Amino acid sequence: MALIGVRARPGAIAVARRLAGHLARGLAMILVVTSVNFVIIRNIPGDPIAARYEKLVEQGMSPDQAERATAVLYGFLPKGSLWEQYADYMGGLLTLDLGQSLSTPGAEVTGMLAAAATWTVIPVLAGTLLSFLLGVTMGVYAAIRRSGRLGDVLAISGSLLHGVPQYVLALLLGAIFTTLWPILPGSGTADIMIEPGLSVEYAGSLIQHATLPVLTYALASYGGWILAMKSSVVTVLGDDFILAAELRGLTRGIIFRYVARNAILPLFTILALSLGLLFGGAIFIERIFTYPGLGLLLLDSITGRDYALMGGAFLLITVAIVIANIVADMLYTVIDPRVRSGEESA
Amino acid sequence: MPSTPSDTREDSPPDAPGRTAPGVRIGGLSVVYRTPAGELPAVRGIDLELPPGTITGVVGESGSGKSTLALSLLNAVQPPGRISAGSVQIDGLGDVVTLRGEELRRARGRHVGYVFQAAQNSLNPLKPVGRQLLDLGRSHGVADLRALVREARDLLGRMGLDGARVLDSHQHELSGGMRQRVGIMFALVLNAHLVVLDEPTTALDMITQATILRIIREVHEERGLTTLVITHDLGVVAEVADRLAVMYGGRVVEQGPTRQVLGDPLHPYTRGLIRAIPRLVGDIGEATALPGRPPTLATIPAAGCVFRERCPLRMDLCATQEPPTVAHGGRLVACHAVEGGIREERAGAGNHGGQDGAGGPDGRDGAEDPDGRAVAAGAREEQA
Repeated sequence: MALIGVRARPGAIAVARRLAGHLARGLAMILVVTSVNFVIIRNIPGDPIAARYEKLVEQGMSPDQAERATAVLYGFLPKGSLWEQYADYMGGLLTLDLGQSLSTPGAEVTGMLAAAATWTVIPVLAGTLLSFLLGVTMGVYAAIRRSGRLGDVLAISGSLLHGVPQYVLALLLGAIFTTLWPILPGSGTADIMIEPGLSVEYAGSLIQHATLPVLTYALASYGGWILAMKSSVVTVLGDDFILAAELRGLTRGIIFRYVARNAILPLFTILALSLGLLFGGAIFIERIFTYPGLGLLLLDSITGRDYALMGGAFLLITVAIVIANIVADMLYTVIDPRVRSGEESA
Repeated sequence: MPSTPSDTREDSPPDAPGRTAPGVRIGGLSVVYRTPAGELPAVRGIDLELPPGTITGVVGESGSGKSTLALSLLNAVQPPGRISAGSVQIDGLGDVVTLRGEELRRARGRHVGYVFQAAQNSLNPLKPVGRQLLDLGRSHGVADLRALVREARDLLGRMGLDGARVLDSHQHELSGGMRQRVGIMFALVLNAHLVVLDEPTTALDMITQATILRIIREVHEERGLTTLVITHDLGVVAEVADRLAVMYGGRVVEQGPTRQVLGDPLHPYTRGLIRAIPRLVGDIGEATALPGRPPTLATIPAAGCVFRERCPLRMDLCATQEPPTVAHGGRLVACHAVEGGIREERAGAGNHGGQDGAGGPDGRDGAEDPDGRAVAAGAREEQA
């Protein structure tokens, strides 16, 4: 604002330093998780690596060949010292090589994760943002009308939806829209009869198939948002500066913005954190709607004892959560001046 | 802090008309709060006049209705409360009780400035002070925002602050005393000539209190304001107020020129209040707490005198009939005993109070001399 001449804040350096600290801690965290990952795979009862190697030899491979084939699978050689194996494994991670899947021979874990992630991230992101926007807006109304009937209805609907488990909601919606009133497909990502490509038909089919999962994500988290926003708005409305703004004769629009911005602040953190959890996939929802996302992939890898795939999926979840935590914290630094200056004085 | 009384008029916001101090006449004002037990009165039948250009102090214990009275001046009593009767006539505005919507919003801030308690946070914590100043300007259709910012800087400068720096700060970067001065700036920057200060020095340290009080007096004189100061601190009133109204249980029990009221209190409650103030010199035991507790919304007696439960001069009449407000010289007092001429006996009466009363050693300064203000001010300076 030119009128006031914004004082140069030493904030930028502080923010950069904060970010650097977060990144260092995040990397350390990922290192720990991958190491644990390695140790677990290495120590699983029955030693799947040795078993695999022996099986290949039995099938007639030369020991050398069998060794290399096993290494491709798990990312490290079955023979050799623990440290050599560990170095091998970590080296592979650096080049995003997570080995090959056991259950789907020849498929790279990285590729499988990437393919599945598309089917999880986009619908969950859509569902989360939809419910966030809707929940926050309705939460404001629920707070303003809290002594009226509208407020009661909104709050009760929020509590009800918040209390229903995701899978019950998924089954319920599935029953309603695929059986009772069959207007939506109940499984898959698109009609298999339609050629995938950049056609309107295919896109329409994609959207149709994504509707139920997205709706379930949205409804399942909507209750939480409306309740959180309502209580946040009620708290801010009781703050003295809102009464002070009224007594200064500020317009309703400006006062509304004061309330909204102050009330939404704590919700941003929850939003960022919940976006990190999204890589965990919604196992129940994807299972129920046979939607080939990360949740389903993880489930399949567990039932198929596909350790390489399992390890890759866990790693992805870890990285996503670490990043989400960093984003949440940095976001707060940017939007709340109090946190910013706390950093400056530190 | 240098005071420059000469230059005030030139740099006031260009589209604010040069106004003079308005007079305020509060007539028969009653405010009720809706509770599960029905509507209960927080303020009942108050008649109070703020002559143009004066500082009026309102004192009373917590729950005596003084803040409700202050909010009534802006027709801003918060639900579940509402103004149930009476009028608040402000020169140039009319009866604010009848104002609604946009009319009311425009009157707030522009005609009537309101200053919050220091410890309370009256600023949006997420926005720099300057941005909030611009919000204020836009809300009131100020055309020249630059002039508004200049005016704000000047006001802050006059109060001993670095205006540019303060406008660039967030609330959390300012101390309590600075925030209070920012609050005063916000109340004055649109050139409001009626200013209401609700507990302006509560929760501030002694030195800051003294500074704020001096600023209030200076700005009041410089700008030619009509000022209402709400406080529980008799010392504050003694220092700044020309006139004083004492509230108890939602009623004004005594009002008049500050010197008269503090120097020669007539109402037994006023006397009790003054006696409860611990002196800086002498025996601490000389301060006598008022026995009993002030009434709450639910325990205010519906009939008779509100103070009778704690009154040393209580008579049979007090339980049944509300004492009328009667003029005694330049003063208005609502007490049967004073009316009945028992004044002379008062010196001996009512000194048997226990130490457990809630009469509140809130006030720190004594004022039993005829020249109440001088004594209180002297005591304050010693402490500071």
